Amino acid sequence: MNAHSSPIQPIEFKGRMILVSILRLHDADPQRLHDAMDARLREAPDLMRDMPLLVDVEPLAGTLPETLIQVVQEIRQHGFKLIGLHSGTVAQTIAEGTGLPVIVLGGKTGAEVPLRHATPRESGTVETPAPPQEQATTLQFLHTPSLVVNQPVRSGQQVYARGGDLIVLGTVSAGAELLADGHIHVYGTLRGKALAGVRGLVGARIFCRRLDAELISIAGHYRIAEDILDAERGENRLVTLAGETINISEI
Amino acid sequence: MARIVVITSGKGGVGKTTTSAAMATGLALEGHKTAVIDFDVGLRNLDLIMGCERRVVYDFVNVINGDASLRQALIKDKRTENLFILPASQTRDKDALTEEGVGQVLDELSQEFDYILCDSPAGIERGALMAAYFADEAVVVTNPEVSSVRDSDRMLGILASKTRKAEQGEGPLPSRLLLTRYAPERVDKGEMLSVEDVVEILSIEMLGVVPESQSVLNASNAGMPVILDKESDAGQAYSDAVARFLGEERPHRFLTAQKKGILGRLFKG
Repeated sequence: MNAHSSPIQPIEFKGRMILVSILRLHDADPQRLHDAMDARLREAPDLMRDMPLLVDVEPLAGTLPETLIQVVQEIRQHGFKLIGLHSGTVAQTIAEGTGLPVIVLGGKTGAEVPLRHATPRESGTVETPAPPQEQATTLQFLHTPSLVVNQPVRSGQQVYARGGDLIVLGTVSAGAELLADGHIHVYGTLRGKALAGVRGLVGARIFCRRLDAELISIAGHYRIAEDILDAERGENRLVTLAGETINISEI
Repeated sequence: MARIVVITSGKGGVGKTTTSAAMATGLALEGHKTAVIDFDVGLRNLDLIMGCERRVVYDFVNVINGDASLRQALIKDKRTENLFILPASQTRDKDALTEEGVGQVLDELSQEFDYILCDSPAGIERGALMAAYFADEAVVVTNPEVSSVRDSDRMLGILASKTRKAEQGEGPLPSRLLLTRYAPERVDKGEMLSVEDVVEILSIEMLGVVPESQSVLNASNAGMPVILDKESDAGQAYSDAVARFLGEERPHRFLTAQKKGILGRLFKG
Protein backbone atom coordinates (compact mmCIF):
# COMPACT_ATOMS: atom_id res chain seq x y z
CA MET A 1 0.00 0.00 0.00
CA ASN A 2 1.33 3.41 -0.92
CA ALA A 3 1.14 5.76 2.04
CA HIS A 4 0.61 8.83 -0.20
CA SER A 5 -2.64 7.54 -1.64
CA SER A 6 -4.51 7.79 1.65
CA PRO A 7 -7.21 10.45 1.11
CA ILE A 8 -7.74 11.31 4.77
CA GLN A 9 -5.30 13.56 6.59
CA PRO A 10 -5.46 13.52 10.38
CA ILE A 11 -5.75 17.28 10.54
CA GLU A 12 -6.45 20.08 8.11
CA PHE A 13 -6.42 23.88 8.47
CA LYS A 14 -9.10 25.89 6.72
CA GLY A 15 -9.71 29.62 6.63
CA ARG A 16 -13.28 30.78 7.21
CA MET A 17 -14.97 34.03 8.08
CA ILE A 18 -17.22 34.07 11.09
CA LEU A 19 -19.70 36.61 12.29
CA VAL A 20 -18.87 37.68 15.80
CA SER A 21 -20.83 39.78 18.23
CA ILE A 22 -19.25 42.03 20.80
CA LEU A 23 -20.60 42.07 24.32
CA ARG A 24 -19.77 45.47 25.73
CA LEU A 25 -19.89 45.77 29.51
CA HIS A 26 -20.95 49.04 31.07
CA ASP A 27 -21.38 47.84 34.59
CA ALA A 28 -19.36 45.51 36.79
CA ASP A 29 -22.09 45.00 39.41
CA PRO A 30 -22.65 41.23 39.53
CA GLN A 31 -26.41 41.41 40.25
CA ARG A 32 -27.20 43.90 37.51
CA LEU A 33 -25.09 41.93 35.02
CA HIS A 34 -26.80 38.74 36.07
CA ASP A 35 -30.26 40.23 35.53
CA ALA A 36 -29.34 41.76 32.19
CA MET A 37 -27.87 38.52 30.89
CA ASP A 38 -30.85 36.51 32.05
CA ALA A 39 -33.17 38.89 30.27
CA ARG A 40 -31.25 38.61 27.01
CA LEU A 41 -31.01 34.85 27.22
CA ARG A 42 -34.75 34.57 27.71
CA GLU A 43 -35.35 36.51 24.50
CA ALA A 44 -33.63 34.00 22.27
CA PRO A 45 -31.98 31.25 24.27
CA ASP A 46 -30.94 29.13 21.30
CA LEU A 47 -29.42 31.94 19.39
CA MET A 48 -27.63 33.50 22.35
CA ARG A 49 -26.09 30.27 23.57
CA ASP A 50 -24.46 29.51 20.23
CA MET A 51 -23.37 33.01 19.40
CA PRO A 52 -19.59 33.50 19.39
CA LEU A 53 -18.86 36.54 21.55
CA LEU A 54 -16.03 38.93 22.14
CA VAL A 55 -16.08 40.74 25.46
CA ASP A 56 -15.33 44.44 25.42
CA VAL A 57 -14.28 45.55 28.91
CA GLU A 58 -12.86 48.93 27.92
CA PRO A 59 -15.79 50.94 29.35
CA LEU A 60 -14.89 49.44 32.74
CA ALA A 61 -11.39 50.93 32.88
CA GLY A 62 -10.63 51.63 36.53
CA THR A 63 -12.26 48.45 37.80
CA LEU A 64 -9.91 46.03 39.55
CA PRO A 65 -8.57 43.29 37.24
CA GLU A 66 -9.68 40.64 39.78
CA THR A 67 -13.25 41.91 39.61
CA LEU A 68 -13.16 41.88 35.82
CA ILE A 69 -11.87 38.33 35.74
CA GLN A 70 -14.76 37.33 37.98
CA VAL A 71 -17.22 39.13 35.72
CA VAL A 72 -15.92 37.26 32.66
CA GLN A 73 -16.23 34.01 34.59
CA GLU A 74 -19.80 34.91 35.45
CA ILE A 75 -20.64 35.53 31.79
CA ARG A 76 -19.27 32.12 30.87
CA GLN A 77 -21.32 30.49 33.58
CA HIS A 78 -24.41 31.95 32.00
CA GLY A 79 -23.72 29.86 28.95
CA PHE A 80 -22.39 32.53 26.62
CA LYS A 81 -19.66 31.25 24.31
CA LEU A 82 -16.73 33.62 24.77
CA ILE A 83 -13.99 33.42 22.17
CA GLY A 84 -11.86 36.33 23.22
CA LEU A 85 -11.43 39.83 24.56
CA HIS A 86 -11.85 42.85 22.36
CA SER A 87 -8.43 44.47 22.15
CA GLY A 88 -7.64 47.39 24.44
CA THR A 89 -5.52 48.36 27.40
CA VAL A 90 -7.88 46.90 29.99
CA ALA A 91 -8.19 43.67 28.01
CA GLN A 92 -4.41 43.15 28.13
CA THR A 93 -4.40 43.24 31.93
CA ILE A 94 -6.91 40.42 32.30
CA ALA A 95 -6.05 38.27 29.27
CA GLU A 96 -3.93 35.89 31.26
CA GLY A 97 -6.32 35.70 34.18
CA THR A 98 -9.31 34.85 32.00
CA GLY A 99 -7.43 32.58 29.64
CA LEU A 100 -8.96 34.39 26.67
CA PRO A 101 -7.00 35.67 23.67
CA VAL A 102 -7.04 39.40 22.93
CA ILE A 103 -8.45 39.88 19.46
CA VAL A 104 -7.96 42.92 17.24
CA LEU A 105 -10.87 43.62 14.94
CA GLY A 106 -11.44 45.84 11.98
CA GLY A 107 -9.63 46.95 8.86
CA LYS A 108 -7.29 44.57 7.16
CA THR A 109 -5.33 43.94 10.29
CA GLY A 110 -7.80 41.33 11.42
CA ALA A 111 -6.08 38.97 13.77
CA GLU A 112 -6.52 35.28 13.75
CA VAL A 113 -9.89 34.21 14.97
CA PRO A 114 -9.95 30.78 16.50
CA LEU A 115 -12.08 28.39 14.53
CA ARG A 116 -14.91 26.78 16.30
CA HIS A 117 -17.70 24.46 15.45
CA ALA A 118 -20.98 24.95 17.24
CA THR A 119 -22.25 21.63 18.36
CA PRO A 120 -25.99 21.24 17.85
CA ARG A 121 -27.76 20.74 21.11
CA GLU A 122 -31.22 19.83 22.24
CA SER A 123 -33.41 22.89 21.87
CA GLY A 124 -34.92 24.46 24.96
CA THR A 125 -37.80 26.50 23.59
CA VAL A 126 -41.11 25.16 22.44
CA GLU A 127 -41.34 26.94 19.14
CA THR A 128 -37.93 26.01 17.86
CA PRO A 129 -37.61 22.29 17.40
CA ALA A 130 -34.03 21.33 16.62
CA PRO A 131 -33.65 19.29 13.46
CA PRO A 132 -33.45 15.61 14.29
CA GLN A 133 -29.89 14.47 14.62
CA GLU A 134 -29.10 11.68 12.26
CA GLN A 135 -26.11 9.45 12.63
CA ALA A 136 -23.98 10.45 9.71
CA THR A 137 -21.96 7.47 8.69
CA THR A 138 -20.17 9.20 5.86
CA LEU A 139 -19.36 12.87 6.03
CA GLN A 140 -19.72 13.07 2.25
CA PHE A 141 -23.51 12.75 2.43
CA LEU A 142 -24.00 14.91 5.47
CA HIS A 143 -27.27 16.74 5.02
CA THR A 144 -28.83 19.24 7.36
CA PRO A 145 -32.57 18.83 7.18
CA SER A 146 -34.60 21.95 6.49
CA LEU A 147 -37.20 22.94 9.03
CA VAL A 148 -40.65 22.98 7.43
CA VAL A 149 -43.46 24.84 9.20
CA ASN A 150 -46.96 24.02 7.96
CA GLN A 151 -48.85 26.50 10.11
CA PRO A 152 -48.94 30.27 10.03
CA VAL A 153 -46.26 31.80 12.25
CA ARG A 154 -48.13 34.13 14.59
CA SER A 155 -47.22 37.33 16.37
CA GLY A 156 -44.92 36.55 19.30
CA GLN A 157 -43.71 33.24 17.91
CA GLN A 158 -40.11 32.62 17.00
CA VAL A 159 -38.90 29.82 14.75
CA TYR A 160 -35.23 29.03 14.36
CA ALA A 161 -33.90 26.58 11.80
CA ARG A 162 -30.60 25.61 13.34
CA GLY A 163 -27.96 24.61 10.85
CA GLY A 164 -30.25 24.69 7.84
CA ASP A 165 -33.01 26.31 5.84
CA LEU A 166 -36.41 27.35 7.05
CA ILE A 167 -39.49 26.83 4.92
CA VAL A 168 -42.80 28.34 6.04
CA LEU A 169 -45.89 27.38 4.06
CA GLY A 170 -48.23 29.87 5.72
CA THR A 171 -48.24 33.53 6.54
CA VAL A 172 -45.74 35.13 8.91
CA SER A 173 -47.55 37.74 10.98
CA ALA A 174 -46.29 41.08 12.13
CA GLY A 175 -44.50 40.47 15.43
CA ALA A 176 -43.33 36.98 14.45
CA GLU A 177 -39.68 36.19 13.93
CA LEU A 178 -37.99 33.72 11.60
CA LEU A 179 -34.34 32.79 12.04
CA ALA A 180 -32.28 30.39 9.98
CA ASP A 181 -28.64 29.54 9.58
CA GLY A 182 -29.41 29.05 5.89
CA HIS A 183 -32.09 30.38 3.53
CA ILE A 184 -35.64 31.35 4.45
CA HIS A 185 -38.59 30.57 2.21
CA VAL A 186 -42.04 31.93 2.95
CA TYR A 187 -44.95 30.77 0.79
CA GLY A 188 -47.43 33.15 2.40
CA THR A 189 -47.07 36.84 3.15
CA LEU A 190 -44.03 37.83 5.19
CA ARG A 191 -45.13 40.57 7.59
CA GLY A 192 -42.83 39.78 10.50
CA LYS A 193 -39.04 39.65 10.78
CA ALA A 194 -36.86 37.29 8.78
CA LEU A 195 -33.20 36.79 9.59
CA ALA A 196 -31.33 34.44 7.26
CA GLY A 197 -27.74 33.31 7.72
CA VAL A 198 -27.78 34.28 11.37
CA ARG A 199 -24.45 32.58 11.98
CA GLY A 200 -22.78 34.50 9.22
CA LEU A 201 -23.67 32.81 5.93
CA VAL A 202 -23.48 35.80 3.56
CA GLY A 203 -24.88 33.76 0.66
CA ALA A 204 -28.13 33.13 2.53
CA ARG A 205 -31.28 34.47 0.87
CA ILE A 206 -34.88 35.15 1.74
CA PHE A 207 -37.55 34.13 -0.74
CA CYS A 208 -41.16 35.09 -0.23
CA ARG A 209 -44.44 34.98 -2.05
CA ARG A 210 -45.28 38.45 -0.74
CA LEU A 211 -42.94 40.78 1.11
CA ASP A 212 -44.32 43.22 3.65
CA ALA A 213 -41.73 42.65 6.36
CA GLU A 214 -40.88 44.51 9.57
CA LEU A 215 -37.22 43.60 9.20
CA ILE A 216 -35.10 41.56 6.85
CA SER A 217 -31.57 40.51 7.66
CA ILE A 218 -28.85 38.44 6.10
CA ALA A 219 -25.68 37.54 8.00
CA GLY A 220 -26.18 40.35 10.47
CA HIS A 221 -26.83 43.10 7.89
CA TYR A 222 -30.37 44.29 8.06
CA ARG A 223 -33.04 46.69 6.84
CA ILE A 224 -35.98 47.74 8.98
CA ALA A 225 -39.48 48.41 7.66
CA GLU A 226 -38.78 52.12 7.34
CA ASP A 227 -35.89 51.44 4.97
CA ILE A 228 -37.90 49.13 2.73
CA LEU A 229 -39.48 51.18 -0.05
CA ASP A 230 -43.07 50.67 -1.10
CA ALA A 231 -41.82 49.72 -4.55
CA GLU A 232 -39.67 47.01 -3.03
CA ARG A 233 -42.60 45.46 -1.21
CA GLY A 234 -44.85 43.21 -3.19
CA GLU A 235 -45.20 39.77 -4.68
CA ASN A 236 -42.46 37.21 -5.33
CA ARG A 237 -39.48 38.89 -3.73
CA LEU A 238 -35.92 37.75 -3.28
CA VAL A 239 -33.66 39.26 -0.64
CA THR A 240 -29.91 38.96 -1.10
CA LEU A 241 -26.77 40.44 0.41
CA ALA A 242 -24.16 42.08 -1.82
CA GLY A 243 -21.22 43.31 0.17
CA GLU A 244 -22.92 45.19 2.98
CA THR A 245 -26.10 46.03 1.09
CA ILE A 246 -29.37 44.19 1.38
CA ASN A 247 -30.98 44.00 -2.06
CA ILE A 248 -34.61 43.23 -2.78
CA SER A 249 -35.54 42.06 -6.25
CA GLU A 250 -38.39 40.39 -8.00
CA ILE A 251 -38.04 36.68 -8.66
CA MET B 1 -68.67 14.18 26.89
CA ALA B 2 -69.05 17.89 26.54
CA ARG B 3 -67.34 19.94 23.92
CA ILE B 4 -65.21 22.63 25.58
CA VAL B 5 -65.05 25.94 23.73
CA VAL B 6 -62.90 28.89 24.77
CA ILE B 7 -64.03 32.41 23.88
CA THR B 8 -60.84 34.43 23.78
CA SER B 9 -59.16 37.43 22.13
CA GLY B 10 -55.98 38.73 23.71
CA LYS B 11 -57.22 42.30 23.78
CA GLY B 12 -59.78 43.50 26.30
CA GLY B 13 -63.09 45.15 25.59
CA VAL B 14 -63.66 43.50 22.23
CA GLY B 15 -66.77 41.58 23.27
CA LYS B 16 -65.67 38.24 24.72
CA THR B 17 -68.21 38.23 27.52
CA THR B 18 -71.02 39.50 25.27
CA THR B 19 -70.13 36.73 22.84
CA SER B 20 -69.91 34.07 25.57
CA ALA B 21 -73.34 35.04 26.88
CA ALA B 22 -74.87 35.17 23.40
CA MET B 23 -73.38 31.92 22.17
CA ALA B 24 -74.15 30.00 25.36
CA THR B 25 -77.75 31.20 25.17
CA GLY B 26 -77.91 30.36 21.46
CA LEU B 27 -76.63 26.83 22.03
CA ALA B 28 -79.09 26.31 24.89
CA LEU B 29 -81.95 27.60 22.72
CA GLU B 30 -81.03 24.91 20.19
CA GLY B 31 -81.58 22.33 22.92
CA HIS B 32 -77.97 21.70 23.94
CA LYS B 33 -77.30 21.61 27.64
CA THR B 34 -74.75 24.38 28.06
CA ALA B 35 -72.59 25.74 30.88
CA VAL B 36 -70.73 29.03 30.60
CA ILE B 37 -67.81 29.70 32.95
CA ASP B 38 -66.41 33.12 33.81
CA PHE B 39 -62.61 32.75 33.95
CA ASP B 40 -62.09 36.43 34.66
CA VAL B 41 -61.37 35.85 38.34
CA GLY B 42 -61.17 39.17 40.14
CA LEU B 43 -63.26 41.05 37.58
CA ARG B 44 -66.64 39.36 37.54
CA ASN B 45 -68.69 40.41 34.48
CA LEU B 46 -70.48 37.47 32.94
CA ASP B 47 -73.16 37.29 35.64
CA LEU B 48 -74.01 40.95 34.96
CA ILE B 49 -74.39 40.41 31.22
CA MET B 50 -76.48 37.31 31.92
CA GLY B 51 -78.56 39.17 34.49
CA CYS B 52 -77.98 36.72 37.32
CA GLU B 53 -75.65 38.78 39.52
CA ARG B 54 -78.12 38.83 42.39
CA ARG B 55 -78.20 35.07 42.62
CA VAL B 56 -74.45 34.44 42.96
CA VAL B 57 -73.68 32.53 46.18
CA TYR B 58 -70.67 30.39 45.36
CA ASP B 59 -68.23 30.82 42.52
CA PHE B 60 -65.71 29.02 40.32
CA VAL B 61 -62.85 29.40 42.83
CA ASN B 62 -65.04 28.04 45.66
CA VAL B 63 -65.58 24.92 43.57
CA ILE B 64 -61.89 24.58 42.73
CA ASN B 65 -60.99 24.88 46.43
CA GLY B 66 -63.65 22.40 47.44
CA ASP B 67 -65.61 24.96 49.49
CA ALA B 68 -68.74 24.31 47.44
CA SER B 69 -69.99 21.64 45.07
CA LEU B 70 -70.60 22.35 41.41
CA ARG B 71 -74.32 21.88 41.97
CA GLN B 72 -74.29 24.63 44.59
CA ALA B 73 -72.30 27.05 42.47
CA LEU B 74 -73.99 26.61 39.09
CA ILE B 75 -76.72 29.19 38.49
CA LYS B 76 -79.65 28.07 36.38
CA ASP B 77 -80.65 30.71 33.86
CA LYS B 78 -84.20 31.93 34.37
CA ARG B 79 -84.95 32.81 30.76
CA THR B 80 -83.43 29.91 28.88
CA GLU B 81 -83.78 26.20 29.51
CA ASN B 82 -80.60 24.10 29.52
CA LEU B 83 -78.39 27.05 30.40
CA PHE B 84 -76.17 27.31 33.49
CA ILE B 85 -73.65 29.92 34.61
CA LEU B 86 -70.58 29.40 36.76
CA PRO B 87 -69.59 32.89 37.93
CA ALA B 88 -66.08 34.13 38.69
CA SER B 89 -64.88 35.05 42.13
CA GLN B 90 -64.45 38.74 42.73
CA THR B 91 -62.34 38.47 45.84
CA ARG B 92 -59.56 36.25 44.51
CA ASP B 93 -56.96 36.60 41.81
CA LYS B 94 -56.15 34.40 38.87
CA ASP B 95 -53.52 32.39 40.76
CA ALA B 96 -56.48 30.55 42.29
CA LEU B 97 -56.95 28.87 38.91
CA THR B 98 -54.77 25.78 39.15
CA GLU B 99 -54.45 23.44 36.22
CA GLU B 100 -55.53 20.52 38.36
CA GLY B 101 -58.52 22.36 39.82
CA VAL B 102 -59.77 23.69 36.49
CA GLY B 103 -59.31 20.26 34.93
CA GLN B 104 -61.39 18.61 37.64
CA VAL B 105 -64.24 21.11 37.36
CA LEU B 106 -64.32 20.73 33.57
CA ASP B 107 -64.26 16.93 33.89
CA GLU B 108 -67.20 16.99 36.24
CA LEU B 109 -69.16 19.38 34.03
CA SER B 110 -68.36 17.22 31.00
CA GLN B 111 -70.38 14.35 32.46
CA GLU B 112 -73.56 16.36 32.36
CA PHE B 113 -73.30 19.03 29.67
CA ASP B 114 -73.14 19.11 25.87
CA TYR B 115 -71.19 22.36 25.64
CA ILE B 116 -68.94 24.18 28.09
CA LEU B 117 -68.05 27.74 27.13
CA CYS B 118 -65.04 29.28 28.83
CA ASP B 119 -65.20 33.08 28.89
CA SER B 120 -61.52 34.04 28.90
CA PRO B 121 -60.12 37.15 30.56
CA ALA B 122 -58.12 39.57 28.41
CA GLY B 123 -54.37 39.24 28.18
CA ILE B 124 -52.18 36.21 27.74
CA GLU B 125 -51.53 35.49 31.41
CA ARG B 126 -52.63 32.70 33.68
CA GLY B 127 -56.39 33.27 33.51
CA ALA B 128 -56.42 33.31 29.71
CA LEU B 129 -54.09 30.32 29.49
CA MET B 130 -56.24 28.30 31.90
CA ALA B 131 -59.44 29.17 30.01
CA ALA B 132 -57.86 27.87 26.80
CA TYR B 133 -55.83 24.96 28.11
CA PHE B 134 -58.51 22.26 28.14
CA ALA B 135 -60.48 23.52 25.14
CA ASP B 136 -61.50 21.41 22.17
CA GLU B 137 -61.89 24.48 20.02
CA ALA B 138 -61.69 28.25 20.19
CA VAL B 139 -63.72 31.23 19.09
CA VAL B 140 -61.41 34.23 18.75
CA VAL B 141 -63.22 37.55 19.13
CA THR B 142 -61.67 40.45 17.23
CA ASN B 143 -62.57 44.06 16.44
CA PRO B 144 -61.69 45.33 12.98
CA GLU B 145 -58.76 47.46 14.07
CA VAL B 146 -55.04 46.75 13.93
CA SER B 147 -54.18 46.32 17.60
CA SER B 148 -57.07 43.93 18.20
CA VAL B 149 -56.09 41.91 15.13
CA ARG B 150 -52.47 41.74 16.23
CA ASP B 151 -53.45 40.57 19.73
CA SER B 152 -55.73 37.93 18.26
CA ASP B 153 -52.85 36.76 16.12
CA ARG B 154 -50.72 36.42 19.24
CA MET B 155 -53.52 34.50 20.94
CA LEU B 156 -53.85 32.16 17.94
CA GLY B 157 -50.16 31.40 18.30
CA ILE B 158 -50.68 30.53 21.94
CA LEU B 159 -53.69 28.36 21.07
CA ALA B 160 -51.47 26.53 18.57
CA SER B 161 -48.77 25.73 21.11
CA LYS B 162 -49.86 26.03 24.73
CA THR B 163 -53.10 24.07 24.96
CA ARG B 164 -53.48 20.49 26.09
CA LYS B 165 -54.30 19.42 22.54
CA ALA B 166 -51.10 21.01 21.23
CA GLU B 167 -49.02 19.57 24.06
CA GLN B 168 -50.38 16.10 23.29
CA GLY B 169 -49.30 16.54 19.70
CA GLU B 170 -52.78 16.85 18.24
CA GLY B 171 -51.81 20.03 16.44
CA PRO B 172 -53.13 23.54 16.84
CA LEU B 173 -56.49 24.11 18.45
CA PRO B 174 -59.25 24.43 15.82
CA SER B 175 -60.06 28.14 15.93
CA ARG B 176 -62.61 30.36 14.25
CA LEU B 177 -62.98 34.10 14.16
CA LEU B 178 -65.86 36.23 15.32
CA LEU B 179 -65.54 39.81 14.14
CA THR B 180 -67.50 42.16 16.39
CA ARG B 181 -68.32 45.88 16.33
CA TYR B 182 -68.16 45.86 12.55
CA ALA B 183 -69.26 49.13 10.94
CA PRO B 184 -69.51 48.84 7.14
CA GLU B 185 -69.86 52.63 6.69
CA ARG B 186 -66.53 53.15 8.42
CA VAL B 187 -64.92 50.40 6.35
CA ASP B 188 -66.13 52.20 3.19
CA LYS B 189 -64.50 55.39 4.45
CA GLY B 190 -61.25 53.52 5.07
CA GLU B 191 -61.43 54.06 8.83
CA MET B 192 -61.74 50.40 9.69
CA LEU B 193 -60.28 47.11 8.47
CA SER B 194 -62.60 45.14 6.20
CA VAL B 195 -63.64 41.51 6.74
CA GLU B 196 -61.34 40.54 3.87
CA ASP B 197 -58.37 42.36 5.44
CA VAL B 198 -58.85 40.64 8.78
CA VAL B 199 -59.27 37.18 7.25
CA GLU B 200 -56.20 37.75 5.10
CA ILE B 201 -54.04 38.85 8.04
CA LEU B 202 -55.16 36.11 10.41
CA SER B 203 -55.65 33.29 7.86
CA ILE B 204 -58.51 31.78 9.81
CA GLU B 205 -62.09 30.72 9.13
CA MET B 206 -64.82 33.29 9.85
CA LEU B 207 -67.56 32.15 12.19
CA GLY B 208 -69.51 35.38 12.08
CA VAL B 209 -69.54 39.14 11.74
CA VAL B 210 -71.49 41.08 14.37
CA PRO B 211 -72.27 44.67 13.43
CA GLU B 212 -71.64 47.59 15.78
CA SER B 213 -75.02 48.10 17.36
CA GLN B 214 -76.73 50.04 20.10
CA SER B 215 -78.68 46.87 20.88
CA VAL B 216 -75.52 45.27 22.36
CA LEU B 217 -75.16 48.06 24.90
CA ASN B 218 -78.87 48.06 25.68
CA ALA B 219 -78.82 44.30 26.20
CA SER B 220 -75.77 44.48 28.49
CA ASN B 221 -77.38 47.18 30.59
CA ALA B 222 -80.55 45.14 30.84
CA GLY B 223 -78.60 42.00 31.81
CA MET B 224 -79.96 40.10 28.85
CA PRO B 225 -77.86 38.24 26.25
CA VAL B 226 -78.23 40.20 22.99
CA ILE B 227 -79.10 37.05 21.05
CA LEU B 228 -82.52 37.15 22.74
CA ASP B 229 -83.21 40.49 21.03
CA LYS B 230 -84.40 38.89 17.81
CA GLU B 231 -85.24 42.23 16.20
CA SER B 232 -81.70 43.55 16.45
CA ASP B 233 -79.02 43.10 13.80
CA ALA B 234 -76.45 42.02 16.43
CA GLY B 235 -78.86 39.44 17.86
CA GLN B 236 -79.50 38.00 14.41
CA ALA B 237 -75.78 37.95 13.63
CA TYR B 238 -75.14 35.94 16.81
CA SER B 239 -77.96 33.52 15.88
CA ASP B 240 -76.27 33.01 12.52
CA ALA B 241 -72.92 32.44 14.21
CA VAL B 242 -74.41 29.81 16.53
CA ALA B 243 -76.03 28.06 13.56
CA ARG B 244 -72.68 28.04 11.73
CA PHE B 245 -70.99 26.82 14.90
CA LEU B 246 -73.37 23.85 14.88
CA GLY B 247 -72.47 23.06 11.29
CA GLU B 248 -75.17 24.86 9.35
CA GLU B 249 -74.18 26.94 6.34
CA ARG B 250 -75.50 30.46 6.38
CA PRO B 251 -74.47 33.46 4.29
CA HIS B 252 -72.84 36.34 6.19
CA ARG B 253 -75.13 39.34 6.66
CA PHE B 254 -74.61 42.95 7.74
CA LEU B 255 -71.41 43.28 5.71
CA THR B 256 -72.46 46.26 3.62
CA ALA B 257 -73.56 49.73 4.62
CA GLN B 258 -77.30 50.31 4.66
CA LYS B 259 -78.38 53.14 2.42
CA LYS B 260 -80.37 55.44 4.62
CA GLY B 261 -83.44 57.21 3.24
CA ILE B 262 -84.23 60.83 3.98
CA LEU B 263 -86.24 59.87 7.06
CA GLY B 264 -83.45 57.64 8.32
CA ARG B 265 -81.01 60.50 7.96
CA LEU B 266 -83.32 62.87 9.76
CA PHE B 267 -83.81 60.52 12.69
CA LYS B 268 -80.30 59.06 12.62
CA GLY B 269 -81.98 55.65 12.77
